[in-house]
Amino acid sequence: MLTVGILYKEAYGVAIIDEMEKRLQRNVSIGALQTVLRRLEDKGYLSSEFGEATNVRGGKRKRYFSLTSLGSRVLRETQEQRLELYKAIPRVAFPKS
Amino acid sequence: MNTSPHDIKPPSIFLRFFRWFCDPALVEDIEGDLTEMFYRDAESKSISAARFKFSLNIMRLFRPGIIKKFGRQPFTQTSPMFRNYFITSIRSLMRSKGFSAINIVGLAVGLATFSMISLYVYHELSFDRYHSKGDRIFRIVENLRTENELLLQSTSSPPMGPRMLKDFPEVENYVRFQKWNLLAQYDDVTDYEPDSYIADSTVFDVFDFKLVKGDKRTALREPYSIVLTQSMATKYFGDEEPLGKMLKMDYDQFKVTGIVADVQENSHFTFSNLISFSTWSKNQKENEQNAWFWNGFHTYVLLRDADAVHNVRSKMKDFIARNIEKGGMYYEDLPLQELSSIYMAPQRSWENGMRGSLNNVYILSIIAVFILLIACFNYINLATARASRRLKEVGLRKSLGALRRMLVAQFLGESIIVAFIAAVLAVMLTWAALPAFRILIESPLNFSVLPNPLVITAVAVALVLLIGVFAGAYPALIISGFQPLQIFKPSTKGVYSHQNFRKVLVATQFVISIMLVAGTLLIYDQLDLVRNQDLGFNKNAVLIVPTNGDTAIVKHLDAVKNELKNVRGVKSVSGSSTVPGQSTTNLYTEIEMMDGKLSPTNINFNFVDHDFLSTYDIELIAGRDFLREAKADDTTAYLINETAVRDFGWTPEQAIGKRVSGRYQGGKIIGVVKDFHYRSLHTRVEPLLLALTTYVGKIAFRIDDADLTGTVNRVQAKWQELIPYLPFNYSFLDVDFDRQYKADQQLGKVAGVFTGLAIFIGCLGLLGLTSFVVERRTKEIGIRKVLGASVVSVVMLITREFIWLIAVALIVATPVTWYLIREWEQNFTLQAPINPVQFAIAGLAVFVFTSATISFLSLKAATSNPTKALRTE
Repeated sequence: MLTVGILYKEAYGVAIIDEMEKRLQRNVSIGALQTVLRRLEDKGYLSSEFGEATNVRGGKRKRYFSLTSLGSRVLRETQEQRLELYKAIPRVAFPKS
Repeated sequence: MNTSPHDIKPPSIFLRFFRWFCDPALVEDIEGDLTEMFYRDAESKSISAARFKFSLNIMRLFRPGIIKKFGRQPFTQTSPMFRNYFITSIRSLMRSKGFSAINIVGLAVGLATFSMISLYVYHELSFDRYHSKGDRIFRIVENLRTENELLLQSTSSPPMGPRMLKDFPEVENYVRFQKWNLLAQYDDVTDYEPDSYIADSTVFDVFDFKLVKGDKRTALREPYSIVLTQSMATKYFGDEEPLGKMLKMDYDQFKVTGIVADVQENSHFTFSNLISFSTWSKNQKENEQNAWFWNGFHTYVLLRDADAVHNVRSKMKDFIARNIEKGGMYYEDLPLQELSSIYMAPQRSWENGMRGSLNNVYILSIIAVFILLIACFNYINLATARASRRLKEVGLRKSLGALRRMLVAQFLGESIIVAFIAAVLAVMLTWAALPAFRILIESPLNFSVLPNPLVITAVAVALVLLIGVFAGAYPALIISGFQPLQIFKPSTKGVYSHQNFRKVLVATQFVISIMLVAGTLLIYDQLDLVRNQDLGFNKNAVLIVPTNGDTAIVKHLDAVKNELKNVRGVKSVSGSSTVPGQSTTNLYTEIEMMDGKLSPTNINFNFVDHDFLSTYDIELIAGRDFLREAKADDTTAYLINETAVRDFGWTPEQAIGKRVSGRYQGGKIIGVVKDFHYRSLHTRVEPLLLALTTYVGKIAFRIDDADLTGTVNRVQAKWQELIPYLPFNYSFLDVDFDRQYKADQQLGKVAGVFTGLAIFIGCLGLLGLTSFVVERRTKEIGIRKVLGASVVSVVMLITREFIWLIAVALIVATPVTWYLIREWEQNFTLQAPINPVQFAIAGLAVFVFTSATISFLSLKAATSNPTKALRTE
């Protein structure tokens, strides 16, 4: 979902995977990605529309995803929650490094 | 990578799989992603890596979020549509009545044969399964090792049952049977009862034989008690109350103490009466305890639970070692046969009833499936060939928005309708043909062996559905795959595009037909060979009459024989304990070997009189026959057969003078006879000793074959004059002997009939197919004729491709049949060479039937007036 935000206007399947691999050093299969995307879309966090077709895609159109307002609010809220939680961890709990 | 992107394609199977399972709303962009990644990988890595990753990705896409919702399509209002499907199906069936009739009749005949054969197979496999304790009942059989051979016997000795009960805690009970052939007599009814058994009183506890009258605990306790089956009771006592009456069996009076329901016919042995075991054992206490090698009994043990058999088996060696003294002859093992397996098990010596043949069951099942296949292929062929007829309908449906799977459902539904109509017809056909089928396979085939009707109905419906789907699947896929545009374009592409598939099916039908025809012919070859094989004795024109060791005959044997011999037409008369083709007795015997020591063996015996060899035309190869002048022969002379001589490592001359001793009587071998097949050709000739006796069980008459009936009548008249109290139950030796091949002959007959049916169904299909081809090519034929083609060339035009198919089929069918028949012939000790001519005949037969079918129609097309054909536009 974050990646979708980063890519802004260019968020479609392959681009998202590339982005995640680049930034998170993590392999993502199309299958895993697509299920997540569809679920997020069902929940109303993402919206999508068909884009242009290119030759390299065998004449199939891209589906671009973008954050909905609900999506961005949820993102922000989770971010804040995480931060709250993070802040709540007492110093001593971190092992000395 | 230098290859241009156009040459590289993602693996299409996976792509198609993906398109099939993927939710249609998602399919486009995901597929796009997949393809994009594929080409990128193909650039950066290798094509194979890209392909692999592509396939892997698709497999990983096969997950709940992506897979489409099956079975929930938003806009199908199914019920009115189904009515419409049904109506159009019926209409299309009615429109082409000829084709529908061919399909339905073919399927019906196929289903009818299939169900009849299934009934038979089920019946064969149902043997002995009606006993409620059946899974715990086992028959003790023996693997007896003598110095020269291993004898596999179905019998056991009297002490085995009781001792097992004592030694094995797993054994709950046992029953011993011994088969007797007795002459029963009450008032004026006299007849032989060959299925009389002495049996332990526990028989009713172990088996489910139902005692209708009498007390099952006491019925078989006292000596000279007898329990009759209902039909035997009616036979001798009619309407009288049999209980408590005395029935004379041979020379003793037996008291009827119970009536038992008739033994179900699907039992591996049947009896007409049971005599208390104590009748035998009261005078045989010593033997009952110790005669471990008296193998005249069939013993069944009832275990406490079915799995205990493994325990018993593992302790058997120990049991044998502990109880039975190991001499020159010993039991290598005492296997336990599960009750329900006995009927189909490989035969052992001295079986207590007819045995089935697993081979025949297999062969018939295969034939049944074959016939059903032929019928299904007919449907597939005709439906695909005629698919073009439905093009417009399909086109219309498609343009109105029918989904492909709806069309598939429609056409599958159609074939299922056809299958159901065929099934109804098949039930009627079966019902009509069952009596004939019963005669053909000589088995009563009770419906009572079948499970309850509900199960049968369910199975039948399932079968019909299966056939409907099997036959309808391919046509449905083809028809529903047409593109609407292509349908409305006037092209014949759709019609001829499945030619090859059709050819394969037709060729398969030919293969099956040829296999059946050739197989039947070869089976008959083998049976002919077996029947006409030189048996070592002459079985023709020999009349056999049982005497059961009647005392008067025994006492005055020579006088009786002389009287009978004087009847006109009788050439010679001989009495013996058994005749060839009957089971022989075997006895513990010691025979002197080359080193002068006596070696124990269980050897087959036949007790005969002086005229045995001459009456049966058995050849003597060394020594001499029994002589009336040599009085000592009566008690001390033995004849031995060639096999025994060979087994013992003698030459025929060396055999003469060897000492023989044993339970019977001591003596010397005086002659060697050429091997004669005293049993069927299924088994090899075993060693045999012949000894003289006056105690004869059967009298054989060699008679003049010019006047069989006359002679039989004269012998009968004389018989009734001499021994009026003995029924003259005559039979002919060759008939009796050939009865041993009953199962094989049945197979031949059944195979013959079903081959005919298979060809009939195949021809029906061809008829349909040809008429379709002819109809399609009416104009072509017309033009050809106008341009001067002859009738022959037009007929050839249509027949040509079938001839080619038959040739291919012949090539395929020959080695398969060859192999199968070779395997089957291994059941015999003697195999007929496989005659290649039979394959040619089979091919020719199929060809004749085919061309007769085809040319009937093509001739009509070829001779019709071409103007007619060309005018019909």
